[in-house]
Amino acid sequence: MIRIENITTEDFNALSFRIKGGSVYKVITNSDYENRKLLNVILGLQRPEHGRVFLFDKEMYMLSSKELNRLFSRVGTVLKDGGLISNLKVWENIVLPVWYHSGNKPEDVEEKVVQRLKEAGMDVARLEELMGELPGPLPVHEKRLLGFVRAALMEPDLMIYDSVFEGLNQEMSERFIKLTEKFHSERAGRTSVYITPDEQSVKGIKADDILRL
Amino acid sequence: MISAQKIGRNIIKAFGYLTGYYSLLCYFIKNISLLGRAPIRYVFYKQVYFTGIEALSKITAIGILIGIVIITQVINIAGANAVLIGKILIWTVVRELGPLLAAIIIIARSGTAISSELGSMKVNNEADSLRIMGIDPVDYLLIPRIAGITISVFILTFYFQITAVAGGLAFTSAFKGLPFLQHIKGIFSALGLFEVAVSLAKSLVFGLLISTVSCYQGFSVEASITEIPQAATRAVMQSLFLVFIFDGIITLISFA
Repeated sequence: MIRIENITTEDFNALSFRIKGGSVYKVITNSDYENRKLLNVILGLQRPEHGRVFLFDKEMYMLSSKELNRLFSRVGTVLKDGGLISNLKVWENIVLPVWYHSGNKPEDVEEKVVQRLKEAGMDVARLEELMGELPGPLPVHEKRLLGFVRAALMEPDLMIYDSVFEGLNQEMSERFIKLTEKFHSERAGRTSVYITPDEQSVKGIKADDILRL
Repeated sequence: MISAQKIGRNIIKAFGYLTGYYSLLCYFIKNISLLGRAPIRYVFYKQVYFTGIEALSKITAIGILIGIVIITQVINIAGANAVLIGKILIWTVVRELGPLLAAIIIIARSGTAISSELGSMKVNNEADSLRIMGIDPVDYLLIPRIAGITISVFILTFYFQITAVAGGLAFTSAFKGLPFLQHIKGIFSALGLFEVAVSLAKSLVFGLLISTVSCYQGFSVEASITEIPQAATRAVMQSLFLVFIFDGIITLISFA
């Protein structure tokens, strides 16, 4: 699913690892900075000086930008800050990738969005209020949750979580973990990768393997 | 020696910007069909709303005032000659001031807004967020903005000219005692299709220049928040500079 071969950047020296399809992985980095840098390499944002990165068996940095865009429509990423677009309302944020890639009308996925957010413990009144708001002032746990719903709507084969449980209280963290585990099990062959420098925050996740950098 | 080095550096920098603008403009023209995609078209409509529709009240007020000022000055210099007033109004408003003032208003209102908005999106890694969703940020953020601003400048220029001429005529008819119909005759005797075509061609070029420069400058912000006001300043100054240069070129080619 993801194969990193001898990548060398300012921050990594001949780093190699492999993430197999259909599994749950925890990748433990040494710092937030290293976490960000690793994500940049995996997500096609920073080309390594040496080495190769494969995603779905395709050498990522050899692809054209159009091919890369197609490839990333199969990847869901939940970033630590939610990764929401500041000038779009919450509803517009959530439906953007599914609207862009599949051409589905936003109203077609309304039911799925409501269901996911209810599963996350959000009550209907808050949900209705939230959809028309801009994401800037929202608390970080809601931004992450919305980032998760947005990614999940695309039904990706690979889901990457960037330190999403850090700083959450126990109840929120447990609920969010359950949500991601349920999402993983919804489709056979789906891969989930939790990347974080805080091992404690992913303690509750049952992983098939743990990679420590 | 130092100033020679500085001049050399500035020339290289200016050349770099011009190359960047040209590449972005070519990319826009090549990929304009992306506006057929619903989410991109949605950004385009929003841009037309912010740049075009929200600027209407200001354009109306400035247009009417400009029309009144020009007519007042003409009457002071040449007396109440309806044919001359019509000709001068067409020469100044349609040929020159219409496209130029509409462009300046859009630069002040939207050029700064767009470069700051895109700059802050870059600083907050929102362009990267789009990329990792498989959405090309240039396609999604820049193409609809360039199209939206260009269409808005084009339409606002036409609207500005109408309000300036109508405002001027209404003022003289109401306060200077000149018959309205005589004015209309004066206007039509001076107005040709060529004047209108050149003015609209200017507005189209200005729209493309303003949007390309503002989007390019906003999107060239890298990581620091202090780059945002610098990018906005560059967007305004370079848009103004290019608009004046192209205004001169088109006027020379068309009317010299």
